Amino acid sequence: MSDYDVAIIGSGPSGIAAATGLIRAGITNIIVFEREAEIGGIPRHTHHPSFGMLVFKRPISGPKYIKKLLKRCAGVRFETSATVLAIHEGGVLHLATPEGQKTICARHIVLATGARETPRHGRLISGLRPQGVMTTGALQQFIYTGKMKPFQRPVIVGTELVSFSALWTLRHAGIKPAAMIEENSRITAYRPATLFARLLGVPIFYRSKVVDIAEVEKLSRVGIENASGEKQSIACDGVIFSGKFTGDNNLAKASQMGLNRSTQFPLVDQNWISSDPNISVIGNTVHPADMGDQCYLEGLEAGRKVAEKLGGNEPSGHQIRVEPGDGIRMTTPNMLRVGASETFVSLNLHVTKAYSGPITVKYNGETLYKKRHRCLPARRITLKRIQLKGVVENTDLPLEVYLGK
Amino acid sequence: MTKDTIPLYDVIVIGGGVVGCAVMRRFSLAGAKTLLLEKGADILSGASKANSAILHTGFDAPPDSIEVACMQAGYTEYLDIRQDLNLPLIETGALVVAWDEEQLAQLDGIIAKAHENGVEDVVRVERDALHQAEPNLANTALGAVEVPREFVIDPWSSPLAYLRQAIDAGAEYRFNTNVTDGEFDGNVWRLETSQGAVSGRIVINCSGNQGDIVQKICNEPEFEIRPRKGQFLVYDKSASSLIDAIILPVPTPTTKGVVLTKTIFGNLLLGPTAEEQDDRENARVDHDMLQGLIEVGTKMLPDLPQHAVTATYAGLRPATQFKDYQIKAEAGKNWIGVNGIRSTGLTAALGISAYVEQLCAEKFAEFGPAKTLTFPQMPMLAQHEERSFQEGDGTEIVCHCEGVTRGDIERALVADIPAKSLGGLRRRTRVMMGRCNGFYCSAKVAALTKGKITPALGGGDET
Repeated sequence: MSDYDVAIIGSGPSGIAAATGLIRAGITNIIVFEREAEIGGIPRHTHHPSFGMLVFKRPISGPKYIKKLLKRCAGVRFETSATVLAIHEGGVLHLATPEGQKTICARHIVLATGARETPRHGRLISGLRPQGVMTTGALQQFIYTGKMKPFQRPVIVGTELVSFSALWTLRHAGIKPAAMIEENSRITAYRPATLFARLLGVPIFYRSKVVDIAEVEKLSRVGIENASGEKQSIACDGVIFSGKFTGDNNLAKASQMGLNRSTQFPLVDQNWISSDPNISVIGNTVHPADMGDQCYLEGLEAGRKVAEKLGGNEPSGHQIRVEPGDGIRMTTPNMLRVGASETFVSLNLHVTKAYSGPITVKYNGETLYKKRHRCLPARRITLKRIQLKGVVENTDLPLEVYLGK
Repeated sequence: MTKDTIPLYDVIVIGGGVVGCAVMRRFSLAGAKTLLLEKGADILSGASKANSAILHTGFDAPPDSIEVACMQAGYTEYLDIRQDLNLPLIETGALVVAWDEEQLAQLDGIIAKAHENGVEDVVRVERDALHQAEPNLANTALGAVEVPREFVIDPWSSPLAYLRQAIDAGAEYRFNTNVTDGEFDGNVWRLETSQGAVSGRIVINCSGNQGDIVQKICNEPEFEIRPRKGQFLVYDKSASSLIDAIILPVPTPTTKGVVLTKTIFGNLLLGPTAEEQDDRENARVDHDMLQGLIEVGTKMLPDLPQHAVTATYAGLRPATQFKDYQIKAEAGKNWIGVNGIRSTGLTAALGISAYVEQLCAEKFAEFGPAKTLTFPQMPMLAQHEERSFQEGDGTEIVCHCEGVTRGDIERALVADIPAKSLGGLRRRTRVMMGRCNGFYCSAKVAALTKGKITPALGGGDET
């Protein structure tokens, strides 16, 4: 006997959306587990208007965005400060709550555990360990939630959208960063974002990386090095490592769910169902990190698919691995369940470096898709309507996706 | 202040590393009035904060050395007391793995040395058995020596437990207290510190990387501290199942092998490097050296790159020009130097403390009556044991990566020897030690520790 029809792990835009999709499809015995004390995921500490353009057709702040999304799923039960420790077969979840551990059972599980930025250590940055080195996510919580000013003049490493979000957050607190530092020769976010930095008088150092975090008691400078090997020091009292999002998929990794061999992301098919047919994986867990709106829209659809499955439309078909080529960080889906009914599929991907040119999808030597795309890293590229012609069951051949002809 | 008004102790220990904590424990339990002076904001601020956390049998230590004697005594006593103090242990055993013919040729010598050191259960493991035991090792592993009783312990809770026992027996400690000078009047030492003068009948120098500088207060040291840096990588918990035993290198004249080991906290540790440097305080990590470590690690464990690096760190080991420890009582000076305690200090600390107590009894003084032994219960931080978030302490989890509750943090801030710095709090609770490096929890930790740690996390200003 299951306690719930569906248990959703994570209450960010993806998790809320899945709940909404399910409610709309008439599945009401559902629960959303959130390990934080507050619902909302990343948007709850992103207080500037970077959400809502796709869903509400206007920019709104993170907390407002969450409030509006919650209105659309009235009646859904949320349990906060509830940490899922393990996922077991048969829809069993093992949780820790302030009162102790518990085990619940659901007919279906939706993993929407989101993403986080790659911090200093994961980037193997040289130097000492002063305080004042953090990610944008931590920065936003310091400034918006904690009303604290961790530094006066930090540098921002990275130029993704989230890096400019860091810039915005600092501006809100009256902090002027010393610089932004970018490995490549252009910013990763859309070019006009450079205007925002220029307007605030923040220089961007291109083709540069942090090679030294100096001074242990109080951070006073970072060393940077450019592509020509020239080194210089920037006076600062903090470093914000922004972006380079990574999926928070430790639960998936520790469970029975399969991982894509080359990307190590949890396997997820075109209906967001994992290798375990009772588990869906959605949102930035499997594509770190797309916009909140994209996650929300996807979550609605994924919720609907779960409702279909619970209504008897069990996932079926032969599993075909999607194999990304060089320069592709990950695809979603990264696995297909191919049955008789499946004729077209869309594929989202992220590139590792800026790329302009054809993207090709092949199966067994035959080209199923080839179109030119202009791709920048850290954002969603969509390959629409890939025809699954000749993709046959019962072979081990992968669907190959690569940059080039 | 005049000498009459400054506090007088039987024993003053300089340096709150693992050795200093163990020496404090021994003398306090014996009945001496003791004081610990620590330069840093917490115990374990120097060499002892960064090591590989292995409880060694001493199988490969120099035979007949003070080091091997202290290690083996320390090893035995640790296993005797650890359960009473709620200190965890993983009985991993170790494999000294040969990766080429040159190393393979060394294995018999390693076994002979182990047997000479009294570690009789060390045996040869042939190639097939090795790969059966450790299926994730690269097939270039040619054979190994098994050391069944090399174990993994908690490197921070253990010394804290020693000092807690000392405190229960009446010991005192002062942090942020740097000893700058001292004078012996033939009877009593007067030590000048950054926080005023103190006096003691006997001074024990356990100051690690500062050993020769502090020793100069007493006499011209016969040794010179040559800090040796070791950089480490900590892999995420998913990687810890890649190995069962501690994978040790075969020391050869041409290679400085690295260790792969589980940590008590459920991670996989890779390191150290061995680099000589002059700086005694700061241990930088270096991108290229870390990258080099990853390459070495990947040659041993091909699946390693599938797992994320969650932390990097560097430690400084107080090596000297000599192979053995430099433990010596200075005749007529009431001073004992406990120096050159290299990477084996965590294992040897309890053994060293007994050795120093005996040395003190022979040369200077004995103390008594012995205090009643107490066994403070250390918070359990081991991944494989029940943690407070699993028991449910009525508070929410603050640090999700490491499973640290608000209660854990609040308790560490008010416990005996409370955490007064972020480093101290991290070592007592694991908070912010996980894969996200504080992405989720650092602002919450800043709020919980406001006014309680220095420097404040999150700065002093409000927006």
